Amino acid sequence: MSATTEAAPAHAPKASALRESAWYPYILIAPSMITLVVVSLVPFIYAIYLSFHQAKFGRVRDFIWFDNYATLLSDERFWNSIGVAATFVFIAVPIEFMLGLVGALVLNQNVRGRSVLVPLLFMPTMMAPIVVGLLWKIMLAGSWGFFSYNVLERFNILTDTSIFASPDLALYALIFVDIWQWTPFMMLAFFAGLQALPLGPYRAAAVDGANPLQIFFHITLPMMTPLLAVIGLLRFIDAFKVFDTIYILTNGGPGTTTETPSILANKMTFEFWNIGEASALAVLVWIAFFAFCTIFYQVAKKRLNAF
Amino acid sequence: MKRRFWCFAAALAATTALTAPMFATPATAQDTSFYATAAVPYKGTTIRVLDEITPLQETLSKIVPEFEKETGIKVEWELLNHFEVINKGQADMLSGRGHYDAIMLHGAQLGPMLSAEAIMPLDKFVADPKLSDPGLNAADFIATPYKTTAFFDGKQYGFINWNYNHVYWAREDLLSNPEEMKAFKAKYGYDLGPAKTIEQMRDIAEFFTRKKGEKLAGKPLESDFYGIVLEGIKGGSTFSNLWVNFIENYGGELIDDKGMPAFDSPETVAALKMWRELWTFAPPGIAEYSLVDVPTVMGNGIAAQSLAWSDFVLGIDKPGVSPYAGKFIYAPIPAKAGNEAHRHADAEPSVTVINAASEHPEATFLFLEWLASKKQQDKLIEMGQGGVPIRESSWALPAIKDSSNPTLFAAMKSSLDVATARPKMEKYPEIIDAMSGIAQEVGLGQMTPEEGAKAGQAALEKLCGGKSCTLAE
Repeated sequence: MSATTEAAPAHAPKASALRESAWYPYILIAPSMITLVVVSLVPFIYAIYLSFHQAKFGRVRDFIWFDNYATLLSDERFWNSIGVAATFVFIAVPIEFMLGLVGALVLNQNVRGRSVLVPLLFMPTMMAPIVVGLLWKIMLAGSWGFFSYNVLERFNILTDTSIFASPDLALYALIFVDIWQWTPFMMLAFFAGLQALPLGPYRAAAVDGANPLQIFFHITLPMMTPLLAVIGLLRFIDAFKVFDTIYILTNGGPGTTTETPSILANKMTFEFWNIGEASALAVLVWIAFFAFCTIFYQVAKKRLNAF
Repeated sequence: MKRRFWCFAAALAATTALTAPMFATPATAQDTSFYATAAVPYKGTTIRVLDEITPLQETLSKIVPEFEKETGIKVEWELLNHFEVINKGQADMLSGRGHYDAIMLHGAQLGPMLSAEAIMPLDKFVADPKLSDPGLNAADFIATPYKTTAFFDGKQYGFINWNYNHVYWAREDLLSNPEEMKAFKAKYGYDLGPAKTIEQMRDIAEFFTRKKGEKLAGKPLESDFYGIVLEGIKGGSTFSNLWVNFIENYGGELIDDKGMPAFDSPETVAALKMWRELWTFAPPGIAEYSLVDVPTVMGNGIAAQSLAWSDFVLGIDKPGVSPYAGKFIYAPIPAKAGNEAHRHADAEPSVTVINAASEHPEATFLFLEWLASKKQQDKLIEMGQGGVPIRESSWALPAIKDSSNPTLFAAMKSSLDVATARPKMEKYPEIIDAMSGIAQEVGLGQMTPEEGAKAGQAALEKLCGGKSCTLAE
C-alpha cells in the first residue's frame, strides 16, 4: 500500500510530460490510423496500381498507362451506370430529405404515442439491405408478389408487365424502396437535431409574435443547417453506392436500366474477372466523389456554416 | 453313410448357390480392389471438393462416405448454391491458393478457367496404370456432352459429372382435356398434344393464355393463366435458352465454325421474333424469372408449358411438392418445323475439375474417377429414384426404365442425344451478360428482333475484338 503511494508521485511527472509533448495526439490516434491504412489505404493504393495494369483473371500483367480508363470512358455502359446512379440519387435523396424533415417537424409537436411510433419508424432502417430486397421482392414480384397480385393486377393498375421486369419502372421501384428504407433515418436524425435546439430564440420569437412559417425559416432552418448538410451529404454518398437491394431485386436489369457503378463493378470483378478495368471504375468513381464532396464541403462551410 | 453323403452334397450345393453371386460379380470386386489398392499411397490424405447443392448432389453426398471407407482418403464435400459455387470456386482457382482440390464447373465456365490456366489436365493420371481404373469404361459416357465438355485442345480436364439439360414440360391434364382438344382443333386445324415444333408450342401458348374468369378445362379461372413460362432474368441461363433452343433450331448461330460472330442473320431474326411472341403469352414477371422461378410457376399451375432444366423438374414433379405432380407430361425440345433433322436442345454438361493449385491431385483424381464409375452412378440413380444420367447404361436401370413418369426420362435422353457443351470462350461471362440484356429487351418489346440481331452482332464483335471468340486449339 505504502509502495503504491510512494510510486505515484515518481510517475506523475512522466505522464504529464507525455501529455504535453507534441506527439501525444499522434500516439492517441495511431492505432486507428494504422488500422485505417492497413484496411483502407493499402487496398485503395493497390486498386490504383491495378487500374494502370492489364489485370485479367487475377493475374497482373503489363503496365498499360491509362488504357483501362480510356476503355471505360469510351464505354456506353459506364456512362449509363453513372446516369442510373445519378437519377437514383437525385430523385431518392431529395424526397427522403423533404419527407424526413416534414416528419421530424411533425414528431416534434408532441404527437401522441411518439414513444411507440419512433422505434416503429426506425424498423426499415434497422433492416439489412438484403432483407429489404427480399421483402420487396415478395411484395412486388410479378404474378406472385403479395402487393402485385392483390393490388396492382387485381385493380388493373399495372397490366402486362411487372415492376421489376419493366425497363420503364424498375428504377423507380428501386427508388421507392430506398425512400421506404431511408426516410425514417432522415426523420429521426432531424428529430434528434430539433430536440437539441436551444429554446431561447423560440421564446424571443413568441414574444415578437412571429408566425410558424417565420419561426421555421428564420430560426429552425438556420440552426438546423449544419445537421441537414451533414446528413444530406452522408445519404448522398450512401445512395450513390447502393448495391445490395438492387443486386437482390433486379441485378441491374432489365437490360442495363438499373445498373449502377457498384453493380457494374461487381460484375466486372466477380463475373468477368476484368480486374484492371473494375479498379479503374472504382478510382474514377472515387475521384468524382472526392471532387463533389470537396466542393460541397467548401460551399457548406462558407455559405451554410455547416462544418 | 449314403445319407451323410447326400447331406454333405446338399450343404455344398446350398453353399455354392449362396456364394455364387459373390463370384459372379467380378466387376464389383475388381472396382473395390482397384480403388483400395490405388489409394494406398494417399491413405490419410484429406481432399476438399466444392459442388453445388441440388437434390442430385444431396443424394451423392450419401455415397461419398463409402469412398472414404474404401480408400482411407478423407473427403470434405462442400455443397453450396449455384452462384456461390461459381464465385467461390472461381475465386479459389484464380487465386492459386488451392483451398479446394476439386471444383464443379459448368461447361460455360471452362473457357475462362482454361484461359486462366487454372485447371489441371488429367492426361498424366489417365495414362498412369496405378491411378487409371481399367473398369471405368469411358465409352459408356453419353458421348457428345462428354466429349465436348471434358476435352479441349487434345487434353482431358475431367469426367462428365452432371448432364444438366432442358426438356419440354407441359400440363397433360390440359392437353388431354376433351373440351380443350376440340376447341384447339377447331382453331388450329390439328390435334392438341405436346408440341413437337416451335410453331406448335407457339399455338399452344396462344390458345391457353386466358384472363381471370374465363374457363380452363371447364372451370372458371381464379387468376390469369399463361400459355408458356420461360426464363427471362438477366444473368441466368436466359440467353442460352434463346441461343440453343430457338436460334440454333432456326438454323442461326452465335458464332460460326471459326468462332467469328454470326448473330446478325435472317435465321436469328426469325428466332428472335418467335422469342418476342412467346413472351406475350407469358406471365408479366417473365423478365424476373430465373431457372428456379420457372419450375415454381409451373408447379403453382399458372402456366401451360415451359422449357425447363430437367433436374429442377425432378424437384417439382413430386407428390407433396406441387398440387399438379403427376399431371405433367414431357417431350423433347420442339424443333423448328421443317428443320427437325437438325434439332438442338439446350444443355449444360458439367465437370468437376482438379484445381491447378491442388496439393493432392492424385487422391482427387481417384475420387473423381470413382464418382464417375458405373457402380457409383448406378447407386446414385437408384438411391435418387432417377436423376440425370451421365452413362448410356443408366437409361436401362429400373429407377429410370420403370419410372412413374417415363416421358421425362425419354425427353431427357432426347436432349442428351444432341446436347453439346458451350464453345470454350475466354469472354463467355461478358458475352452472356451482353446477350442476356438483348434477349430481355427483345422479349419485352423494347427492341425489335432486327435491332436485337444487330446489337448482338455489334456486342460480340466488340467483345471479341475482331478475332475469334473461342480459345485457340
